[in-house]
Parts: sequence; structure tokens; C-alpha cells
Amino acid sequence: MDKLSVITSFLHAIVVYNVPLLYGTVGEIVVEKSGSLNLGVEGIMAVGAIFGYMMGCFANSLGVGIGVAFLAGVLCGLLFAFLTVSLQANQNITGLTLTTFGLGVYFFVGTSLKAVKWPVMGDYSNIMKGFAELPIPGLSKLPVIGSGLFSHNIMVYLGVAIAVVLWWYLNKTAPGLRLRAIGENPGAADSVGINVNRMKYLHICLGCGIMGIGGYYMALNMGGSFNSNCWINGYGWIAVALVIFANWSPALAILGTFVFGFFNTLKVSGSTLAAAFPGGLGWLADIPSQVFDALPFIITAVVLVVSSVQKKKNSGQPAFLGLNYFREER
Amino acid sequence: MGLHIVKRENCPLWKRCCFYLIAVLVALGIGSVILLAIGVNPVAYYTRMFTLGTIGNKIAYKTYINYLKDFVPLALTSLGLSLAFKMRFWNIGGEGQFIMGALAASAAAILLGNTLPSAAVLLLICVAAMAAAGLYGLLVAALKVKFGTNETLLTLMLNYVAVYLLNFLMGTKAGWNFYLNANELRPVPQKHPDSSLFPTIPMGGKFELNICVILVFVIGLLIYVYLKRTKQGYEINVVGDSIGTARYAGMKTNRIVLRTVFFSACLIGLAAAFKMGTVGTLSTSITADVGWTGIIVAWLAQLNTWVIFAVSALISMLHYGSTVAAATFKQVDSSFANMLQGFILFLVLAADFMIRFRIVRTRKEDRNG
Repeated sequence: MDKLSVITSFLHAIVVYNVPLLYGTVGEIVVEKSGSLNLGVEGIMAVGAIFGYMMGCFANSLGVGIGVAFLAGVLCGLLFAFLTVSLQANQNITGLTLTTFGLGVYFFVGTSLKAVKWPVMGDYSNIMKGFAELPIPGLSKLPVIGSGLFSHNIMVYLGVAIAVVLWWYLNKTAPGLRLRAIGENPGAADSVGINVNRMKYLHICLGCGIMGIGGYYMALNMGGSFNSNCWINGYGWIAVALVIFANWSPALAILGTFVFGFFNTLKVSGSTLAAAFPGGLGWLADIPSQVFDALPFIITAVVLVVSSVQKKKNSGQPAFLGLNYFREER
Repeated sequence: MGLHIVKRENCPLWKRCCFYLIAVLVALGIGSVILLAIGVNPVAYYTRMFTLGTIGNKIAYKTYINYLKDFVPLALTSLGLSLAFKMRFWNIGGEGQFIMGALAASAAAILLGNTLPSAAVLLLICVAAMAAAGLYGLLVAALKVKFGTNETLLTLMLNYVAVYLLNFLMGTKAGWNFYLNANELRPVPQKHPDSSLFPTIPMGGKFELNICVILVFVIGLLIYVYLKRTKQGYEINVVGDSIGTARYAGMKTNRIVLRTVFFSACLIGLAAAFKMGTVGTLSTSITADVGWTGIIVAWLAQLNTWVIFAVSALISMLHYGSTVAAATFKQVDSSFANMLQGFILFLVLAADFMIRFRIVRTRKEDRNG
């Protein structure tokens, strides 16, 4: 029985600590489907995290936190869209700067706030209540996997719901089709009357807003304790990798989050598993944690290389990814 | 009446300089507003930042020495990146290449430092670092040329592979791990022998100029000549303008890409060798983010060799100055420099637009015709 509870808590940890990745990934998929490569995920999540946390505590409401984090992300997206869509700036450079800038904002705001008074998450009853687990009736009663997979806080359900809705939106609706057309060939999309710039603005902002919520979720996971490590701590970069691993599909991103989350969680609880199952999993304790850290990036690098070698026909990578569309040069 | 944008030909130099100057000043202006909002006097803060806190400081020479330790790797990394960027090869793997270079340099210094004369050790450090970083970059270039692998995403992934390799070596006590001090129980990095440190030239007073500073300017000159006066430099420019034209002209574009990316990564490796040869100990934060900052510097400098030096000097000043100022202004985190750097780049990108494009009014009859 005790061994089974180890597995249950392992599954639980995979979901709780890695669904922020899903937000980052799904947000980035929406942005990339419009043909824009935004390397600012890490920074945007950080901005969403700090403002969402601050205002959420200030209003003592999880909803306000989510809303503010979304808005902060949207503002970052607006900046990115303005520079790359309207002003034709290079996407790689703008995105990377957004990361540096976002982390700068995160530490600057956090440090200034700390100099006055840091809000402690435990003091805000509504946030604690809102972030508590809501077991799904029925499913959560299943043995072993029940409380591992089907008893989570509202942010987990929201993340999965956003991924499913966006999968539907991208693949089954007319605006989703138009968006994908822009990512593949903006000139052609423009010529059939699609407003390329408006679509890009809308979806870059939407995607970045979703990343912002993911950042806020990270803040809540960290219990809102501010120290020298950023709350996001590289999750934004893993999300960029996960987009490739998930082949630009929000539905596959749910699966991908579970795979990458599995490695993330092994890093933390590998030794617990090894202790519970010394016979079968004892070797886990000998693997250095950095291997698990590097695995998402190694796997993604391999996926990138293999899919380019095979010249995959069904690759989800938008053909125009990373390139700006300048109408006069059509 | 509507507005639309058209490309502008040849904006005069003075006008460009004005645009960029305005961009930087506006960025500093936004910074002042933020400082005022949290109750810090911006004039006092900026003064402290841009003088690196040297006014009335008895050990100011140390500040200059440390500042140059930041400046040299940043300038050299940025120079290296600019070569690849000129060909529109998006090498954003500077961070990973720097780490590979640093690991090779450190290995050479620790394993050979006590057995060979200093000059030989220094040469070996540089060669080892350049080879390691160069190959790490070449791998990506080869995949790009052969299979069309997306180099932006692949170099990004390889950065993190290098980061965690470094973390692993810095955190794992074992008999084989010569990177750590064998006499310590906890993982403490092994100090390099003195023979593996670059010599310094006394400049009067207590200030000593590290030879790396001179070398980096010599390398800058060589790169300038290489780009402007040699066939290979010309080829880089043609490939950057249009790879189709280059092929049509009979250039072996694949070979040019491979050679230039290798060369680009080698320079980043050399930056790592210079860093290791001045600080003398490896650490998990050895890169000081130059791989990332270098990209921004190269772009701000429009990939111009000499402007890269000027921008590196400015950006190192922001970063070094902000850590100095953070000691006096406790409520301002040293990451203020990152924010400021962001504002500067965003505004320079906007200024860039004004330089590259013109906004003109369209008349109705034009559009119908």
C-alpha cells in the first residue's frame, strides 16, 4: 500500500508542477502558428508571474491574479507584435530581448516590493482556497491513479481546457484555418483577403497572455516565496522545446507536458522511487539530476534533427516561422 | 487618405546617429521615471552607474580591472556572433559554445598548467577552447547545410545541454573529476595554476592592463580587414545578401557557411579562453550571460565591427555599474540593467524602422491606379 502511494504522489507531482509548461507551450504554439517565433516565453512568464502574484494578493482573489497575469502577458505580446509586425524588427532579437527584459522587470519589481512589504501567500485566504484541490467526482476515486491524476487545483483544469479548446480552434474552425494559412504563406493568405497583420496581432497577444497565466501558476506553485532564483527558472525555455516535441499541436502538448514533466519529477523524486522499489528502480538514485535537466533539450534536439533529415511531410512547423511579412515585397 | 510604409534608401549617417542617440536617451528617460516612482534620485543613480562608483574611490583601479574583465569576453563573443549573423545564420548558441570553450580551456589549464612553460600553456588554452567551441558550432552548421535543420532552435537546445554539462561537472565529486578541488569535501572548483593566467602590463599607479584587452582590439582589427579586404569576407557578405546570388556566382555556399560558423564559434571559444585566463576558476556562472547579451550587442551595433566595441563598452557599463550602484541603492535590484538594456533595444529597433522605412500618405487615385 505504501509503495502504491509513492506512485500516486509521483503522478500527482508530474501534473501539479508541470502544467505551467503546458500554458507556456500552448501559448507559444498559438504565436508560432501565426508565423512568429517568439523566444521571449521565459520573460513573458516572469512578467505574468510577478504582476499576477502581486495584484492577486492585493485583491485577495485568484481570479484577479489570473486576469492580471493574462493582461501582463498580453502587453508583452503587444510590444512583440508592434516591433516585429508593424516595425519589421527581427523576431529572434526581439524575443531574446523580451526574455532579458522580462526577467529584469521580474527582479526589479520583486526587489522593490520586498523593500516595502512582501505579500505572503498564506495570508490570503481566498487565494489559498482558490488554489486548493478540487477532486473530480468519480474519477478521483480510482485506485492509485485517481488521486494522482484527477484531484488537482483549478489551474490544472484550466490549462488542460485551454489546450483542448485551442486544438479545436486551430484545427476545426475557420479563423484557425486562416491563422495556419498565415503561418504557412502570409502572401497567399493576404491575397485571399485575410487581414494578416490583425490576425498576427490578435494571436500573438492571445498566446502571450496564456504564457502569462502559466507564469502566475508557477508563482503559486512556489508558494510566492521570492528569492534569488526566478520562479520560472527555465520553464519558458523548456516550453519552447516542447512546442517542437509536440509538433505544434496543442493536443500533443498535453502528452508532451506529461513526458517532460516525467523527467522533471524524476529529478526531484527519483530517490523516493528508488527507495520504494530498490529492486526495479534502485538505479534511479545513481543518475545525476543534471541528466534529467538536460533530457528535454536533448530529446528536442534529436527530434529537430530527425524530422529535418526525414523532411517530414506532416510536420506542424509553419513554413514562414521566424520570417517577417512585408506587404510591399510580396 | 491612408498611410503606408515604403523602404527608404540610404539614410544619411548623421541622421542615423541622431535616431539612435534619441532612442538611448528616451530609454534612460523611461528608466528615470521608474526610478522616481520607487523614490530613487535618477541623477544620483545614473551618476553612480556610469562612473562605476569610481568617484572618490581609493581603489578605483580595481573597478577598471574588473570592468575590463566583463568587457573583453562580451566584445569578443559579440564579434564572433556578428560573423554568423552577417550570413543570416542565427547562431543563438553563444552561451553553449562559450561553456564548451571554457570547459576545454579549464581542462588544459588544470592538466597541463604545471608541466609546461606559461606561454605554451596559454597558447594551448586558446587552441583547446577554440576547437571545442568551434566544433560545437560546426555541428549545427553541418546539419543546417545538409538537412536544413532550423539552426535557431537547435543552437538554443544545445545551449542548455552545455549548461547542464557544466552544472554536472561543477557539482559532482568523483575521482575522475579534475575540475573540482580534490582536497575539499564539498564540490569546490579547482583553481588554475598561475602559469595559465594571462600576463598584465603595469600602466602606472596600481592599474595593470591585461594583455587580453590589447589582444581583443588586435583581433577586432583583423576581423575588420578580413571582412573588408579578403575574398572570404566578400563571400560572407554576398551569402548574407542573397544566397541565390552567391550560388549563381559559382560560390560554394555550403563551404562558406560551414567555414564562417566554425570561425564564429571559434571566436566565442577564444572569448571563453580569455575569461578563464583572467579569472582563473571555473564556475556555473562563468558565462555571465555573454552568449545572450552578445546577441543583443551585435544587433545594436548593426554587426559593425567597431561599433560592437563601443556598444559592448556601454552594455558592460550598464551591467557592472548596476551591481556597483545596487550596493548604495538597496531598493534597486542590479537587474535594473537588464530592464534598461531591454528599453534601449526596443527603442533602437523602433529607430531602425525610421531609418529603413518611410511612412507616406497614399492618395486614393494611386491605390485605384
